[in-house]
Order: sequence, then structure tokens, then C-alpha cells
Amino acid sequence: MKNRNHLMLIVMAGFILLGGCAEVVQVGTTVGQSAGVLSAKDKELLDKHATTMAQAARPMTEKEEYYLGRAVAATILGQYRLYPDSRRNEYLNSIGRTNALSSDKPYIYGGYHFAILDTDEVNAMACPGGLILISRGMLQRAGSEEELAAIVAHEIGHIVNRDGVKAISAARWTQAVTALGTDAAGRFGGRQLAELTTLFEGSVNDVFKTIVVSGYSQEQEKAADESAMIYMQRAGYDPSGLYDFLGRLAREQRGGDKRGFFSTHPGMTERLEMARSFLAAKGWKRMDHVARDQRFNAYRW
Amino acid sequence: MKKIVWLVLLGSLMMAAVAVAATFRVVTEEATIRKDRKFFAPVVTRVPYGEVLQEQERRGDWLMVNYKGRQGWIHVSAVQEQKFDWSSLSGGRAAESTRDEVALAGKGFTPEVEKSFRNKNPKMRYDLVTQVESYRLSEGQVENFIRAGNLREPGGEP
Repeated sequence: MKNRNHLMLIVMAGFILLGGCAEVVQVGTTVGQSAGVLSAKDKELLDKHATTMAQAARPMTEKEEYYLGRAVAATILGQYRLYPDSRRNEYLNSIGRTNALSSDKPYIYGGYHFAILDTDEVNAMACPGGLILISRGMLQRAGSEEELAAIVAHEIGHIVNRDGVKAISAARWTQAVTALGTDAAGRFGGRQLAELTTLFEGSVNDVFKTIVVSGYSQEQEKAADESAMIYMQRAGYDPSGLYDFLGRLAREQRGGDKRGFFSTHPGMTERLEMARSFLAAKGWKRMDHVARDQRFNAYRW
Repeated sequence: MKKIVWLVLLGSLMMAAVAVAATFRVVTEEATIRKDRKFFAPVVTRVPYGEVLQEQERRGDWLMVNYKGRQGWIHVSAVQEQKFDWSSLSGGRAAESTRDEVALAGKGFTPEVEKSFRNKNPKMRYDLVTQVESYRLSEGQVENFIRAGNLREPGGEP
């Protein structure tokens, strides 16, 4: 009899370890308790363990990513002004939406939104959840609609690849998930809310520091370049636009500009080379884009 | 002997709990069910976040679903599958594949946490975030933009 009880416990422990699925374990422990092989205390312990483990392992949900991104954007917008030009905003959002629909994630929780920051700096920032902020200085450097598309498609690539979320320290996220405990949805105790708010603040800082101060890794930048060329090609844009725009930035960087974007985005020459070989490997030739060139002229700064 | 019966029953219950049919949950604020498998196809109905949909047919990135008696196509990126992935038992992705996005969304970084964060950091420019989020183009505008620029309507069937 005692051995059977042990067997039951071992089976349940196995499910916890294998599945990490708290709901499944709870079904099992309820049955186990009614069968008289688990005490109420055993059940509580097993349920709690299962829930904590499952939550600690979980990724951030898209809705959470959306709220995180809003906070990151609110931080950035505390430092820049928005460029008040509704015509150019509409143009940028049209290019952005077109590329987003061709991306691997056309729909996200709050949708994609693009805005121009009123600054001469060269910068573009993709906040988790779909808010993309691009400086006037960067947009002014684009020589065609294809190049503008390259800028936005690259930022969409960061969002689809969830690079912003990856900037959050794993320890912090595990702590946030653990802090949630087993409470019912949406009902936080005062102390729990305070702890979560602090962890939220820390996560916002992690993302802000990465996208504004230190920059993504070279691998993440190259992956976003690749995504951008794929989205552009699907949308009917000439993906060489990315190569052309990187070329402009590389020339400026070689010219000695090491401020802002050029400090957070080193290795422009390597990215240029990667884009060249990617286009060659795909066999994507340059194409004419007369209609878009004419349209772009109306928005040229 | 009785215990063995209980063990078998327990095992079956566990399987029943996870062997859910191919159901999906809406993970965008509002999703659209369309007449055809195209981004700009006429809208059949709109579905709010968290609603559960049953898959009736799948073609490429589009699922045929029925919502309150209205049938149409929804894009896979607007939903998350709720089906249990048995292969996950052998790897470390179990939690990811079985997590219920909607149930969890009420437990982590929620509007409640955002509110508390805003109270703590009153200088954050959430007003400007709202302004940026309010830039909304209609589907007609995007469709015209694509057509006028000789671009391709994405996501349609080849």
C-alpha cells in the first residue's frame, strides 16, 4: 500500500517535470486526493510547485510585450519631440503597414504604428509591441521610397524577432514570473503590485538601454537586415534599397561620424557585405520603380 | 488492484485534459474574420481579444473559423493555437507550447501594472504614445497605396 502511494507520487512528479503544465497536474492531484493517496497538504504542495515551474518557464505574452513597449516609447518620447507633419506621417505609416503585412507577423496585439522624431540625429527605434520611432535625420538620408521601406522593414524585423524583449535580463523576468505566484488573474496584492511595478520598471530600462544606448548585437542587426530584404521582396519593393541605404550610412561612418546611431551600430561595412551576398544568393535583381520614385519626390525633404 | 485502476483513470484524465481539439484564441486587441484569404478581403465580423475559435479548415496562413454563426478566414498571426504539443514532453518547450496567452496576460505586465508604473513615473510621455497609436490608416488607404506604387498585395494566395 505504502509503495503504491510512492508510485503515485513518482508518477505525478514525472508529469510535473515532463509537462510543466500546472493545469494537468491539478487534475491529477485532485483525483489523487479523492482516491485517498494524497493528503490535502501534498496536493497543495504539488499544485504550487507545478504552477511556479510552469510560469517561470513561460515566455512573455504579446499583450505584456505591448504594455512593455508603450512604457519604452513613453520613455523615449520624454526625450524627443514628435515631428508634426501629418502628410509625411501618413506616408511613413503607409510604407510601414505595407511592409508589416508582408512580414512574418502581419498582426500583433496593438498593431504597428510609425512616428517621426523631430531630431537631426540618425536613429530608429523599434519598441516591443509595434511602436516604431524613426528620426527625421535618418529619414532625410533616404534617397528613395525603397530606402525608406528598408528602414521600416528593418525595424519591423526587430519586432518580429522580439529583439527588444530579449534585452530583458533573464533573471529579472524569472523573478517577475515567480512574483505572480498562483493568484487569480488580474488581482494583485499591494506588495505584489509594487514588486511587479519595480520589475516592470527594470525591464523597461533593460530595453531602453539596449535600443537607445548600447544597441543590438551585430547578429541581431544582420538578422533584421535579412528579414527586411525578405519583407520588401514580398511586398514588391526592390530589396536592394536596403543595400543602398546601408551604403550611405557606411560612407558616413567611414567619414568619421561616430555619434549616436554610428556608435550603437558599428560594423556597417560588414552588414553591407552581408546584404550584398544575401541579394546575390537569392538572385534578386535590381528593378525599376518609377511610380514609387515619383511618389517619393513629393515627400522629399 | 484498486490503486492500479485509479492510476489508469488518473492517466486517462490527464490525457483528456490536454488532448484538446485544434482551438485557437485571439491574441490581438481585435481580430478580423474575412470572406477570403486576403488581407483586404471584405470583413465578415470582428472578434475581440481572448475569444476562442475552432479551426474548420486550414490553407497556408489562413484558418477557416466560425464565430457566433459567422464563418470566414482569419490570419494565423492573430491567433494562438491552444492545442497541446505532445512532442514538447521530450524537450524544454513544454511550457511555451502549452501556455495560454490569454490566461497569462491577466497575470503579468498588465494595465494594472502600467497604471502603477505611470503613477510612479509621472514624467513619462504616455500622452505622446497615445498620439502615435492614434495614427491609423484605413485598409482602403493602405490598399490604394499598394496599388498606386505598383506593389504587391501581400498574404494572398499565390
